[in-house]
Amino acid sequence: MSNVNTVTFTIVLVLFVIVTVVGFLAARWRRPEVMAQLNEWGLAGRGFGTFITWFLLGGDLYTAYTFIAVPALVFGSGSIGFFAVSYTIMAYPIAFIFLPRLWSVSRVHGYVTPGDFIRGRYGSRGLGLAMAFTGILALMPYIALQLVGIQAVLTVMGVNASSTNTYVKDLPLFIAFLVLAVFTYVSGLRAPAAIAFIKDTLIYVFVLVAIFYIPTRLGGWGHIFGTAQTHFASISPETKKPLGTFIPTTKSTGSTQFDFATLALGSAMALFVYPHIITGTLASKQRSIIKRNMSLLPTYAVLLGLIALFGYMAVADPVTAANVKKSGNAQLAVPYLFQHMFPSWFTGIAFAGIIIGALVPAAIMAIAAANLFTRNIFKEFFKPDASPALETRMSQWSSLVVKFGALVFAIELPHTFSINLQLLGGVWILQIFPMLVGGLYTRWFHRWALLAGWLAGMVYGTLAAYNVKNATASHWAASSDIVFGHTIYIGITAIIINIVIAVVLTPILRAAKVPEGADETLPHQYTADPEQAPAPVPAGLGAR
Amino acid sequence: MTQPDATPSAPRGPQDPDITAAKNPVAAHPVTSAAIGLLVAAAICGTLIVPIYAHITPKVGDFPFFYFYLLAYMPAVAIVLWIVTLLQRRLQEPTGAIASDPEVTT
Repeated sequence: MSNVNTVTFTIVLVLFVIVTVVGFLAARWRRPEVMAQLNEWGLAGRGFGTFITWFLLGGDLYTAYTFIAVPALVFGSGSIGFFAVSYTIMAYPIAFIFLPRLWSVSRVHGYVTPGDFIRGRYGSRGLGLAMAFTGILALMPYIALQLVGIQAVLTVMGVNASSTNTYVKDLPLFIAFLVLAVFTYVSGLRAPAAIAFIKDTLIYVFVLVAIFYIPTRLGGWGHIFGTAQTHFASISPETKKPLGTFIPTTKSTGSTQFDFATLALGSAMALFVYPHIITGTLASKQRSIIKRNMSLLPTYAVLLGLIALFGYMAVADPVTAANVKKSGNAQLAVPYLFQHMFPSWFTGIAFAGIIIGALVPAAIMAIAAANLFTRNIFKEFFKPDASPALETRMSQWSSLVVKFGALVFAIELPHTFSINLQLLGGVWILQIFPMLVGGLYTRWFHRWALLAGWLAGMVYGTLAAYNVKNATASHWAASSDIVFGHTIYIGITAIIINIVIAVVLTPILRAAKVPEGADETLPHQYTADPEQAPAPVPAGLGAR
Repeated sequence: MTQPDATPSAPRGPQDPDITAAKNPVAAHPVTSAAIGLLVAAAICGTLIVPIYAHITPKVGDFPFFYFYLLAYMPAVAIVLWIVTLLQRRLQEPTGAIASDPEVTT
């Protein structure tokens, strides 16, 4: 704790305390008559308008992934990291196609989770379970990524206790996480929604200042790009290959274009299937709000593009580059850059922005995972007559469990590039794309064919990701592997296997007259725009 | 609105006579619908097809083309999706008041 900058530390601490207070007070915001309702705790009453939805979805979308993981990859490997920019662009048109349909049908039927929809659409508890399991599993590494982000900032601040024991060393991280866990428990989705305002204000301020100020310190954009170009072309003494690529390369020089495109497409398809993004979507009160937000949210994407460039600034600043090299952790690139470039008070604001920017999505993710567990596992298989009050309590507790599951991922998996945590989650969540998005348009698929495809995709994706190794890690080292001579994102390969199996098995199962399951949705409900939020689950009448 | 989208849905779901009788908005406005499809597809393909923009030159200011293109593409997508939203509103107009204020009973 010797080299802690008091000013930076104080500002971070003060902002953290403010956020904590807001998190607890949020329980009173738009206070419902009964909080013990999953619609209330988990979806904040489904009453958010364009403005709050924008902040909430923005808070969902731009996370430690954006501020730490993407610039770290850009710092380490160059242009391939910009797949994230391409992906956030692509995500909106893709979501624009199917998200309004999901909102409408969920609104009409009072679905809280994507698992509810899948169960209702296919009349299959098994598919609902598959969705819930995948959602929870995929969210854990994503939450873990948030932890790694917070850890990176704390490391550069110097507040990590000097001990070799992981648990002692990361004590400040655990404290931050515990606070998050408690206010999520108390306030539900209202907490991250309220904090998202503070978070986004901080982030806009520090990103805009950084984007205009730092280049003036580093000799302008021309110099930054020039240094990066030279740097990534130089040959690494260890691997005898260039350090990275300055633009995605074509086949003749070892293709990264295919990797770039599949990573972007896979991530874009995965994004709006993630349960926490769907949670944010379902909390809005009108169909048109979803559509409007699809054209408003790309403004955040501009921010992401600029943040990715921080990776090159870190390359161009010799002090930062040396610091990162010494630590051997690319995740520290942005925190070191800010620490070196900004006065300590402004560093404090930026660091607080990153920490809070990790806490908000982590809270929403934990809520989404908890809702999946409660609705599609606990209520479905263990206690079908659970009252809304019991459902809510169950979700509150499972949100805590999910967070500790994420801690395991954060500690166990290698983080040469923490972006792999998110990409691994993407490999898994993509496997529900056929049943979820397919189901929004057609009942052609047979439910057991979808389940078989899902299983194949999950098994293939997990094994393929497990087997990727590099110089420093023997497993889970990356999320792309080589298929037919192309480097390709494992999520894409897995979803192709998934779809092929579902398509082949559907006619076979149908010919064999395997029962199809009842569909409780009607075609017009996919375009409906009801004024009233769905009525609470009837089982809850008088329940205590 | 009591009309289905252009997509096939629920071959085995309960059939609602109103729905099957209703006029398909896509069939009623082929040009607008095609424009919507084309715009959304273009928005996706513009970044999916990497060779389009994986070049260093021409530089825009100090920005190599690749980086300029990615940054400029985002506002472009926002505008395209906004136009699409407006076009979709036109699809719904012929059904008038019924379309703008749907009453869906379950």
